[in-house]
Formats: sequence, C-alpha cells, structure tokens
Amino acid sequence: MSMKKADMITALLLVVVALWLLVGGYRMDRLEIRQIHPASIPGLVPMILGVLLLVCAALLFGRARVGSDGAAIDFGNTGRLIWTAVLCLGYSVGLIGHAPFWLATFLFVTAFVAVFSWGRDDNGSAKLRRIAIAVVTGAVASGAISALFLYGFLVRLP
Amino acid sequence: MASFGSFLNALAELSTPMMLFHVAWATLLGIVVGSLPGLTATMGVALLTSLTYGLDRDAALTVLICMYVGAIYGGSRSAILLNIPGTPASAATSLDGYPLAQQGRAAYAMGLATAGSAIGTLLGILFLVLIAPPLAEAALKFGSFEFFWLAVFGIVISGQLTSSGDALKGYIAGILGLVVAMIGSDGIHALIRFNFGIRELNGGIGLIPAMVGAFGFAEVLTAMSSPGGILSKAPSGSDRTVPRLIDLWKYRLTVVRSGILGTLVGILPGVGEDIGAWASYAAAKRSSRERELFGKGSQEGLIAAETGNSAVVPGSLIPAVTLAVPGSASSAVLIAAFFIHGIRPGPMIMIEQPDFIYLLAVMLLFATLAILVYGLSLTRVFVAVLKVPHAFLMPLVFTLCVIGPYAISQRLFDVWVMVFFGVIGFFLRKMNYPMAPLVLGIILGDLLDKSLRRGLILSDGDITPFFTRPISAAFVVIILTAILANIPAVKKGFLRLLARSGGPGG
Repeated sequence: MSMKKADMITALLLVVVALWLLVGGYRMDRLEIRQIHPASIPGLVPMILGVLLLVCAALLFGRARVGSDGAAIDFGNTGRLIWTAVLCLGYSVGLIGHAPFWLATFLFVTAFVAVFSWGRDDNGSAKLRRIAIAVVTGAVASGAISALFLYGFLVRLP
Repeated sequence: MASFGSFLNALAELSTPMMLFHVAWATLLGIVVGSLPGLTATMGVALLTSLTYGLDRDAALTVLICMYVGAIYGGSRSAILLNIPGTPASAATSLDGYPLAQQGRAAYAMGLATAGSAIGTLLGILFLVLIAPPLAEAALKFGSFEFFWLAVFGIVISGQLTSSGDALKGYIAGILGLVVAMIGSDGIHALIRFNFGIRELNGGIGLIPAMVGAFGFAEVLTAMSSPGGILSKAPSGSDRTVPRLIDLWKYRLTVVRSGILGTLVGILPGVGEDIGAWASYAAAKRSSRERELFGKGSQEGLIAAETGNSAVVPGSLIPAVTLAVPGSASSAVLIAAFFIHGIRPGPMIMIEQPDFIYLLAVMLLFATLAILVYGLSLTRVFVAVLKVPHAFLMPLVFTLCVIGPYAISQRLFDVWVMVFFGVIGFFLRKMNYPMAPLVLGIILGDLLDKSLRRGLILSDGDITPFFTRPISAAFVVIILTAILANIPAVKKGFLRLLARSGGPGG
C-alpha cells in the first residue's frame, strides 16, 4: 500500500474517532445534579480533542490527495511478519488464561524457535535436530521464566 | 555546598554491597539489551519495572536507572559492529562508528563511544544536580494555567521534533495519546468516561502495558520482519580499546558542547536520546575542522553522537522529577516506576523528598562507572552477544512482554492492552507516526484535562488568564511559533522577509 493511500484511510479513521469524541463529549453527563461549575464538565476536553483531531484529519487528507503516491509502506518480510503475529497472538490471546502459563510458554517458545530456524534445504536429521533444539529451548525458557516469577517475584501465574 | 553534602550523603546511603551488585547486573543487562537490535532502552526499562516491583525503592530505581544508562550506551555496540543501531539513540553513532570498524578499528571505536557516553552522562548528572532544585522551586509558582500550557508545550514540541520532518503526524500521535488518557475515571469529578461498558477500563489504560506493547511487541514484530545486519570485522588483537587521552582532549569542546546540547534536548518533554545524538552530531559537523571525515570514520563525530545521546538520560530526568513531565519515552516509564515506589514527582519533590534528586544522581554515577568498566573490558564479549539469532531471542522478549504487565496488576486485561498497543504501534510506526508523543499524550492527558478545567473554575469560565499570566503567555508564544514554523506559507514568507532585510539596502 502506498503512503498516500494509507494517509487517506488513516484520515478517514481519524474523522470517525473525532466524531466519536465530539458526540461522546457532548452527550456526557454534565453533573448538574452535583451543581458543578459549567466550565468543568467532564466532556470538555474530549470535545476539544475531537475538534483538533478533525482539523488534523482534514489536513492529512488534503495533503495526501494533492501529493504524489510516494513509496509503498515497507512491512519487511511479510511472511515472517504474519508468522510472528500469528504465534504471538495465539500465545497471548489464545493460550494465556486458557492453559497453565508454563505449558503455554513452552508451546509458544518451541513453536517460535522451530518455525524461524527451519531451513528449507535441511535433510531429515537436520530437521530433527532443529526440532530437538526448539523443544529444549522451550522447556528451559518456560521453566526458568515460570520459576523466576513464581518463586522470585511471588507472582501468581495466569 | 549544601548540594554537595546531600550528594555525599546519598553516595554513602547507596554504597552498599547489595546496591553495587544491583548496579553490576542491571548495567550489564542494559548494555546487552541496548546492543541487541530490536530491544530498546524503553522496552528494557518497561519490562524491568514489572520485574523490580518487589524490590525496595532505592534498589528498584537503581536497577531501572542502570538499565536505562546501560541500554543507551549499549546501542553503540551494534551501531559500530553491524551498522544497525541497537536503539534509535545510536543511529548517529553508526555513521562514523561502522566506517571505523571497517577500517579494523572496531575496539577503538567502542572505546571512544564508551568514553563519550561516560563523559556525556557525567555532564548530564552535573546539570541534573544544578538545574533540578531551582527548577522545582520555580515550578512551585506554576498554577493550573501554566500546567495546562506545559502539557500542550510537551505534546507540540515532542510531536514536532520526533516526527522526522512530518510534524502533522507527530501532532496526531500526541492527540491520540491524549485521547487514550481520556478513557477511565476523570480526575476532577471521578466520572467514568469512554469505558465501552468494560469494567477494567474504569481506572483508565495502564501506562506500563501500553508502553510494553508500543515498544516491546511492536519491536518484536519489526525485528522479526527485518533483515539482520552483517557483522563487521571483529576487533583485532592489535586494535586498542582504551582511548588516548590526547584524542579526548583534542575534542574537548565537542564533548562539552554535545553534553550541554544533549542535556537541553533531554529537558524538552518527550524528545529523546536519538534527537540528542543527531543535534550534537550536526553541531559538531558544522564547527569541525575535519568536516570531510564525518560519515567516513570521524572520531569527533562518534564522540559527539555518543556524548549527546548519553547526556539526554540525566537531562530527561530533570523535568520528569521536577514537573512530572517526561523528557524521553524511557523516563516516562520511570515516572510510572516512581509512583509505584511511593515517590510523587513534581514541584513538591524538593519539599517532600529533597534528597531524591541526589539519590538519582548517585544512581546515574554508579551506572556510568559500570559502563566504563564493562565498555573497556568486555569489548570482545559483546561481539558474541550480537550473534544470538532473533529466532531464539524474540520469543523470550515476547514472553516477558506478556508476563511483565500481568505481574503488576494480576489482570489478563492488561495483556490484551499490551497486544492492542503493540499492533497499533507497529502500524503507526510503519506509517511514520512517532511513538514518543503518543506516550507523552497518555502521561500528560490527565494533567492537561485537570489543569484546563481547574483553571476555568478558578477564573469562573474566563479564558483570558490562560493568555495574560506571564509564564502562560511565554508558553503561548513558544507553542504558536513552533506550530507556525511548520506551515509552508508562513515559513516561506518569513524567509522572504529575512532575505529582503539582508539584501542590498536592507
């Protein structure tokens, strides 16, 4: 995606956030029942931020519209990025809280090391060796981090 | 004289074997974190904040300060050996450090970087001790009106200076940070705002999970999708590590100027070590007699960059302690750590805990001595550290990103906050939005909100005191000048005016 397109989409998203702030701030409880000073209503700053964000969004959109396409946004190696995101999200949102911390961490570290040290040209024994290294790394990391937090920092693990 | 006595007292208080042990391991860990591309000082400090939760106040803060100083210094290792700055603070270091390494002088370059960092931090400490107490006293005169403008000033300056030429994106990042700060209970009437019906949001978004996400998870994603660097020639046996005193003496003016510039940049809210390094590097290049060597292995350029970025560390603590306004992203985390350990930064610090600034100065001094020892003795060991593959390092970092915020609050919700800010932070960075104003916005949002509304209550809804009180008026002039300077038409008109007044007969 080009920076121009990204800026235009971001500007539209910012407009949504700005309107949400404006409407939310305007409709927010003004606490008349507590007889607070009208200038101290809780919605005041959100409304101001909404206006500022609206101005910034308009400037960003206007600038992107007249500007050139520019270079595409560099997300690096997208394959590796997607694998990293899937593994990290799977661990933090999927596993943590649903499986014991030590098991979740063991599975995550093992999978991460295995995926990113996998060589396409490896033969059978090299692949086995890589998996073994990943399993050992996962076990050591999970054991060490769990023990550190459990016994060192006295934290109840998720 | 009283300051010196307080400093000696602090020195005696912290000179215990246990404290020195903390200094030794935390600085070493900081150097390792800083030297590994993908791990930043802010991430290190944020993760250690959760790990040092159980330590006593002085030990915890010593560990965090040593991590901060060590990581900023450690970034020079990979900048010199890999041409990849270990932290953004070392970007300017790589310009001359890597060419020096390619000439087979890697160890000497690292020695120079060590000396530059140590001198920079020492100069910064001196300014911290000299400036912080009077600044705190002056800040006692600040009322709601001034604090409101201070918060606005922080967002504007940080947005402008950290946005690599696109101030609009810096401002947007700052405003988004302020928006995040609006979530949760409001600071005056305790009304819950924008909680989307989620009870965990009643207390607002935690700074530590947000920062661990924006600086930790986002870094993991960036590091795993970026190509690694190529290690330059390993330091040879004949290459000396300890810099010649004559080299340091030759560049004494550069060192002092870089130290002062770095400290000043540190004092500016949310403007971090990278800007300190670039500003010092540019100033050194402008005034150097060997300008043509810059970028090709200039010792002066290397020293300027390293002195500049290291001086930012104590400099950034000056507003953090006296105004509760962070001078850099890492010092934003330190402010959170101060609160966790019962210290209330702000103008009252010299009244409530007058020795605290001197304790900080001693912690910084210990960290500086430690980087000198490690930097000059373990040069070759750090080359081995740089060879650890990301495939092994990053899952450990992410595991700490998950368990760190959880350890502080014992809430799974904070893990999700970390993930949310990591993903958002990654995309914002890719679109050139700086992270520092975002973080500053989260920290300053409450101050800005409360100060504006309190000021309006005091003035019975009249906004004129925001513009007529002397300090407020000065802030308004600076903020307006900073914003107007970014508008092309205004800039062009100003340059035309300058040219006309400097032209024939002008």
